[in-house]
Amino acid sequence: MPYDDLRSFLDTLDKESQLLRITEQVLPEPDLAAAANAAGRIGEGAPALYFDNVKGFTDARIAMNVHGSWRNHALALGLPPDTSVREQVEELARRWDAFPVVPERREDAPWRENTQLGPDIDLFKVLPLFRLNDGDGGFYLDKAAVVSRDPRDPDHFGKQNVGTYRIEVIGRDRLAFQPVPMHDVAQHLHAAEESGEDLPIAITLGNDPVITIVAGMPMGYDQSEYEMAGALRGAPAPIATAPLTGFDVPWGSEVVIEGVVESRKRQIEGPFGEFTGHYSGGRRMPTIRVDRVSYRTDPIFESLYLGMPWTEVDYLVGPNTCVPLLKQLRAEFPEVQAVNAMYTHGLAVIVSTKKRYGGFAKAVGMRAMTTPHGLGYVTQVIVVDEDVDPFDLPQVMWAMSAKVNPQDDVIIVPNLSVMALAPAADTSGITSKMIIDATTPVAPDDRGHFDTPVRDLPETPEWTERLRALIAAR
Amino acid sequence: MICPRCAHDTVDTVTTSPVPGVWDVLQCVRCLYMWRTTEPDRRTRREAYPVEFRMTPADIETAPEVPVVPPLLVG
Repeated sequence: MPYDDLRSFLDTLDKESQLLRITEQVLPEPDLAAAANAAGRIGEGAPALYFDNVKGFTDARIAMNVHGSWRNHALALGLPPDTSVREQVEELARRWDAFPVVPERREDAPWRENTQLGPDIDLFKVLPLFRLNDGDGGFYLDKAAVVSRDPRDPDHFGKQNVGTYRIEVIGRDRLAFQPVPMHDVAQHLHAAEESGEDLPIAITLGNDPVITIVAGMPMGYDQSEYEMAGALRGAPAPIATAPLTGFDVPWGSEVVIEGVVESRKRQIEGPFGEFTGHYSGGRRMPTIRVDRVSYRTDPIFESLYLGMPWTEVDYLVGPNTCVPLLKQLRAEFPEVQAVNAMYTHGLAVIVSTKKRYGGFAKAVGMRAMTTPHGLGYVTQVIVVDEDVDPFDLPQVMWAMSAKVNPQDDVIIVPNLSVMALAPAADTSGITSKMIIDATTPVAPDDRGHFDTPVRDLPETPEWTERLRALIAAR
Repeated sequence: MICPRCAHDTVDTVTTSPVPGVWDVLQCVRCLYMWRTTEPDRRTRREAYPVEFRMTPADIETAPEVPVVPPLLVG
């Protein structure tokens, strides 16, 4: 059953015992972040966290770790909570093929209940803002779906972007945010700033769980996230018209913030403890002037903790990064079997593939680096044989240890592009990249001694099922 | 009161707690660092603020621009 808003999903998590209500009073700092940080350390079944008794606030409602486990990720997609990771990725890839599904426009968005305008805008009166990590420069909106349009083609529905970017609150009506140059909103801003114009923007908080997933998904520039949300939900995504910008925004959001990115201005922002597990330094980033805030009565502020992986953001962008890479690789190379791009948004990727001829696996690795997402990520590709499951890391390590002759199988290409947050890059935005070919060489690449591999016994699959059934029946 | 991060001596009160008197949110007008008065000392007091996160005026002025402002199109 698709969820039209965050609240209905929280109800399901509650029923599935995947929502933990923390009723005793907590401090806004460091308790909120520390609890969410701890949720990422207690295993794959971690629940979402809900706080409504935060010291100094009268009516704070804060949800964290909503996507922060494989069980919650499965439930967000309407799958049984014990669905395996590989099955979740395969189901996402299957649903992807229904793209595009035209969204459903509704006029009765609940965020129309309350409005702040102009000089009355005070984000602190709407949101219980708080800090995550010690070195953060301030309080962040880090789980929003940000909507912008291409100023050169504003009526193109597909070029309207819905993405997640870090946003620092730098005043009651002012924000700073980070458009990484590889991301779509940066292209929109570039076009606006070339013309000396402000870029209108809508920031939606507390969205239904699939909108949040597609907002973090590396999609084509002219592909609509709403049309992808419909495909993943199995039903049209409900959208509404934002009153100031006229942009299409999720119908079910808790809060919709509208304003403009101020043209050609930069102001100090950060640092922020990023998904790379490292702080980005202080940088001069674009600023947003907030002109209108619309919000549901008693809004729920959804935030996520991120820091040293794994944290909620890894569950959120793991499967949805695997799928586009899998699709894009298969478009040229149908031999590709599976792609695991779940590590740090795909900075490292594992691909399993059949080999067409000698050297083929290395070509697959190079293609992974030149996909649209790969241009800003994919600094390391491990390519494994078709009988190695890239989600099974012990199998991958077996392939690395047994199949790799470093002289022939490790390729390093210097001075390629990477997003500016990659901490290992010497020059920000530029890095070397590496392919490790952990496949078995095939003719005419005749190397090594691989002609007598040990295979699973023919009876093993049957016994695997028998053992699973016996364990489930205990 | 000085900014824990850059030691600037002008600090604004951005908001106060809805329950009166519990905490204030303060902000440095120079480096924009924002903090709540009930946060631990390592985030609120200059003498306890970690060296690796401190900022100087030069750090602020010379921080890299991300993304770079493009040239204006002519005509």
